[in-house]
Amino acid sequence: MALREVEGGAGLDLGEVLGPSSEIATRRRLSGWRRAVVGLALPAVLLTAWSVLSATGILSGRLLPAPADLARSFRDFVVAPQREAVPGVVPFRGAAAEHIRASVGLWTGAYVIALCVGLPLGLALGLSRWTAAAVDPLFQALRSVPITAWLPIGLVWFGLGSGAGRFLVFVGAVSPIVVATADSTARVPRQLVDTARMLGTRPRDLARRVYLPAALPGIVTGLRLGLTLGWTTVIVGELTGVSRGLGAMMFAAREVSRLDQIIVGMATFAIIGLTGDILLRAASRPLTRWADA
Amino acid sequence: MGRRLSTEPVTTAVSEGRTAGAPATLTAAGVAKSYGTLRVLAQIDVSVAPGEVVAVLGPSGCGKSTLLRVLAGLEPPDRGRVEIGGQPVRGPSPDRPMVVQGATLFPWLTLRANLEWGPKALGNRQAGAIVDELLEATGLSGSADLLPRQLSGGMRQRAAIAQVLANQPPLLLLDEPFGALDAQTRLRMQEWLIGLLAERRTATLLVTHDVEEALLLGHRLLRLSHRPATVLEELALDLPSPRGRSTLSDPRFVHLKGDVLTRVLDA
Repeated sequence: MALREVEGGAGLDLGEVLGPSSEIATRRRLSGWRRAVVGLALPAVLLTAWSVLSATGILSGRLLPAPADLARSFRDFVVAPQREAVPGVVPFRGAAAEHIRASVGLWTGAYVIALCVGLPLGLALGLSRWTAAAVDPLFQALRSVPITAWLPIGLVWFGLGSGAGRFLVFVGAVSPIVVATADSTARVPRQLVDTARMLGTRPRDLARRVYLPAALPGIVTGLRLGLTLGWTTVIVGELTGVSRGLGAMMFAAREVSRLDQIIVGMATFAIIGLTGDILLRAASRPLTRWADA
Repeated sequence: MGRRLSTEPVTTAVSEGRTAGAPATLTAAGVAKSYGTLRVLAQIDVSVAPGEVVAVLGPSGCGKSTLLRVLAGLEPPDRGRVEIGGQPVRGPSPDRPMVVQGATLFPWLTLRANLEWGPKALGNRQAGAIVDELLEATGLSGSADLLPRQLSGGMRQRAAIAQVLANQPPLLLLDEPFGALDAQTRLRMQEWLIGLLAERRTATLLVTHDVEEALLLGHRLLRLSHRPATVLEELALDLPSPRGRSTLSDPRFVHLKGDVLTRVLDA
């Protein structure tokens, strides 16, 4: 690919100066408001059709409650005054904060453990061919076990309760972190490492000063996948007999056939998962901006 | 006029003749290197005197880059010895950095941080001042706070050379440093490098497949054979200084270029 010579690039539009890597970015994206309008159009159409089908009775409330009913349930979940707690009963009205706190606590607790295990393990796999040769086959084999298949053994090891749940979310979150960290570390250009050594960087500083920053954009992708996968595992982790958490609420709702409450739980999962991803991306952006196309 | 000194492998006596007994910055003798059954370097002898620019000319794939990697300490030779300032080379070190074609800057750091990397790694407290001076010398002062990808190819290449010069190495190893640039930019870069090396008196080993570049930059020329590489001939290039674009039309340069080109093509 031809290199473009642009002297005094400081004052120029970045797109003009960036060179080869910007070729990808030249597939122009829609402007902000256009994307917002187009992105909202489909949900709006579907919502309207859904409302009409529900109002005319074609769509039975037993299959899918009307949007208005769902909105009411959602409001009850979030702001209704809470009833007195009854032992053994999973509350719904006004219990949003309580359930979210439990689920997010499970999620973040397990995710922090997954970070502490996944990042060093991934770096070791990416840096050392010996470690990779020794650990990778076993790791890949374990990774092929479906997350839900870890539930029985988690229950045996940790008993009923949040310990087993945290174990399961950890299993879900850790493998994308390890895979992405190992892969992007192994892909760090040899030339960068050679240059660092020729500039006098001590070998033991290479991991921290060269491999880690160079691999960071790829690692962040793994961190995002791990965060999302961990969140989707939270509901399985709440099959462990806990009485608080979005998953617990949804299974309780299924017992009494409250489809509206189940859907409210799904919507809450979607909102929180999306928020988590946005926060992680925002937090990592200053560190990876150099690699943006 | 280029004197044809020898078609035999270079002897250190020849190169030391230029420098009146000053110890060579680089001495490599009998260097051989193979990758498995592939013999890349058969027998290479090369020395570079302080302040001297030696151009190594060879056909593509002849092992020029392997030679530089061995001299830089990035690869051990199978046979032979490599010494820098009288000390045997063991592993890469900031006193003989190599700059290759294409940017070797750290893409997540600004230009200034890239240039400061070396002095800071060596604990040099003068890092800031050294880098200011280098930015000035490379004409990049205005771009100090840009990221490498925001620089043009020519600016990046200059910056990569400035980056290793920040450690004030006695020897610079250049592997086709301007190969990726267009012809005009390359000439401007060559003129800039000639001035910089002359001013700093940095001994340099430049590897290239471009006859013109070898003649323009080198004080001395080594021509390598096809793989497995040996030194075919050595030429002293006593063209008038300062060299630059006008050198290209100098009759002696034109004659020499035709001469060398013919031998390269017939090899």
